[in-house]
Amino acid sequence: MVDFALLHRSALTGAKTGAFGATSTGSRIALAALAEGHVLHLLAAHGNDDLQSLVSQIGDGGPYAVRAYGPGQWFVVGDAALSAADFSGKAALLANKASIADQSHGRVRIGISGASVEAVLAKGTAVDLDRASFAIGHSAMTLIGHISALITRTGVESFEVMVLRGFAESLWDDLIQMSLEFGVDAKTAD
Amino acid sequence: MASLITCSHCGPRPKEEFTVKGDAAIARPAADASEDAWYAYVYLRDNPRGRHKEYWHHTSGCRRWLVVERDTVTHAIYAVADAAAQGETA
Ligand SMILES: [Zn+2]
Repeated sequence: MVDFALLHRSALTGAKTGAFGATSTGSRIALAALAEGHVLHLLAAHGNDDLQSLVSQIGDGGPYAVRAYGPGQWFVVGDAALSAADFSGKAALLANKASIADQSHGRVRIGISGASVEAVLAKGTAVDLDRASFAIGHSAMTLIGHISALITRTGVESFEVMVLRGFAESLWDDLIQMSLEFGVDAKTAD
Repeated sequence: MASLITCSHCGPRPKEEFTVKGDAAIARPAADASEDAWYAYVYLRDNPRGRHKEYWHHTSGCRRWLVVERDTVTHAIYAVADAAAQGETA
């Protein structure tokens, strides 16, 4: 017998949703809680930094599934949950060349988009977000305010921000606050 | 934002993303070195004015250890390199 039933729920269940800030229509920000499918953390073994082609096989084939953020360090993300067999299949591919850790319940992805999305994120990070230096598909691990986050550009006017689960709602509230001057529509999963 | 350090892997980042890990110029003594040599290695540090090499850990970025050469008076940054590039760490 357990004293409490374990409740499976998304990290952003209960986060605030709706329209906030300016009522402008031209440059509104859209904030979306993304699917909590899978997040895998890959770390290359010493001397194996150049594993890009092998690591790309760990992804689900989605365009930004594999996110490099430092020498020999990647996150692999996807919308579908992985079974234990899926996971051990991927781990076997990496053999002794890299370690893999399932972070699916540990990190949460937030989508943020809109014409002024760079101006919003620039309030929290010093990373140069201009498309000339931050191309579509590029990722950067950085701080947004005091919260550590992995930023990935997924389009001309769209980014994903991945954050530790316990910080997700706090970052969500911060992103709404940072977007107020443009107006923001925040939507979690139904 | 405040002082920028150009990480070898991540590009220019504010110092808030880093953790200072101390003097990078000191050398580890041989295992059988004298007690004085070990005492100096573990505890004694200079407080230099001017150019200084330090370990900086890019805690909130790539998590690599860097060697940053900077001026303790002007905060000018002269050079940044991955600490492993020098063969000092594994
Ligand atoms: Zn870095």
